[in-house]
Amino acid sequence: MSQNISKEKVISLKGVSKFFDGRKIIDNVNFDIYSGETFVIMGCSGSGKSTLLRLMTGIIKPDEGNIFIRGKDISRIDIEELDQIRKSFGMLFQYSALLDSLTVDENVALPLREHTKLDENIIRIIVKMKLSLVGLRGFESYYPSKISGGMRKRVGLARAIALDPYVVFYDEPTSGLDPVVGGVIDKLIKDLSAKLLITSVVVTHDMQSVFRIADRVAMVHQGSIVKVGTPEEIKNSDNEYIKQFINGLPEGPIDFFTEDVDLFEEFGK
Amino acid sequence: MVTRVGRFILDIFKGAKGIGSLFIQIVYWIVFGPFKKKTAKLESIFYQMGFAGLRSIVIVFFVAIFTGIVLAMQSAYQLEKMGAVIYVASLVSISLCRELSPVLTALVVAGRVGSAIAAELGTMKVTEQIEALETMAINPIRFLAVPRFLALFFMLPCLTVVGNISGIMGGFIVGSGSLNINPYLYMQTSFKYLELKDVYTGLLKSFVFAMIIALIACFEGLNTTKGAEGVGRSTTRSVVISFILIILADCFLTAIFYFSNI
Repeated sequence: MSQNISKEKVISLKGVSKFFDGRKIIDNVNFDIYSGETFVIMGCSGSGKSTLLRLMTGIIKPDEGNIFIRGKDISRIDIEELDQIRKSFGMLFQYSALLDSLTVDENVALPLREHTKLDENIIRIIVKMKLSLVGLRGFESYYPSKISGGMRKRVGLARAIALDPYVVFYDEPTSGLDPVVGGVIDKLIKDLSAKLLITSVVVTHDMQSVFRIADRVAMVHQGSIVKVGTPEEIKNSDNEYIKQFINGLPEGPIDFFTEDVDLFEEFGK
Repeated sequence: MVTRVGRFILDIFKGAKGIGSLFIQIVYWIVFGPFKKKTAKLESIFYQMGFAGLRSIVIVFFVAIFTGIVLAMQSAYQLEKMGAVIYVASLVSISLCRELSPVLTALVVAGRVGSAIAAELGTMKVTEQIEALETMAINPIRFLAVPRFLALFFMLPCLTVVGNISGIMGGFIVGSGSLNINPYLYMQTSFKYLELKDVYTGLLKSFVFAMIIALIACFEGLNTTKGAEGVGRSTTRSVVISFILIILADCFLTAIFYFSNI
């Protein structure tokens, strides 16, 4: 458990629900994330974990309930106020989402150029510092299409921490990467949260990663929170959903088939 | 069938509402952005002007010059019978400046630049780049749509002037070459009946066409869904809708200019 965790609530979700086309994707979700902790949201594909992340970053608004970021309800504020809060966010996207038309250093410098009045020389120094933090120097003038997936993730991370945010959201940070690079990204997440006292919210289904980085874990299934606990509590849980998920078992309460249709019946026999 | 027609009409209204809202937001950022110290970056506007304007000159030149050549030959075919072949010059210059050059240039630019904008913004949308801008508190309309809108707004009329000149040159080649009209007389007749209003009504049209191309391309790009297939669909839709709206707007504007005697 990290030493930097305080009891200050950075993010609070209270009774949050979200519907898409009449289907309830997020169902009455409640949890708090504390300052300095690494909070991991895990669940199967389509369980609603990425939707939770998009709700917390204000990209979509909840249909029911409230989302508080440092006490401010982001589901009830206008876009200008939300943008003010977003300046203290960082987000690492699943596929990095670097702007293709900008080079590595221009991508990292983008939030600084847009939101600060810093001199261009200072911006250049900050960009170098941030790229050093993620261990990526010498690629400043490369375009995102010319570097590997792992490097792109690290550039995305450098961009996410460019404005010294207090929360960084990670959407599947290790997916699509080989185990070594995945381990490097996990170490970076841990290091950044220790060095920069960042609160990290990570959405993933990579179990190795969960147990490496998490201070607390929330298991999501069909839009609901099954359990919130420490990695130890999750590992030792008797909950059937959690057991099936962490052991990757095909049999169990998590059903991967939408409906059991009798083929003979379907073909009219 | 009825539901399909109903859905089609509903889609048109939804699209019109979305494009209207995009237009208002673009105008808002152009007018009020400087007061908030949040403007589109100048280098971005210049880059887009280079892409939309400078790099379209060659295709506009070729389209206009050949249109001028064809127009001169076709009108000479009729006018020769009346012994009025000299009037090919003024016919070419007036029809190009008033009508053909603004419309053809707009169609070429809609195909070349509008499609590129829709595809670029569409790819950015499906690869989460637009979402990334939003989470960085960077308004995608200010950052992406405004420079493209301004670039097209200023460059399309310039390209139309290039089209006017190249078209008249095309007519001149036919007139002084195969129709044996004295080159000096040809040029004199070209501009004798060409009034200033013929040129500026054409340019006025091109400003409207530029707005249509930019709005449709940005709207389609920013509303792309469903991955690579969606990008293709947005690109096609942006070109098809721009073409239809350019012709429609041309019809309305010509009617307005005609009936108000401009």
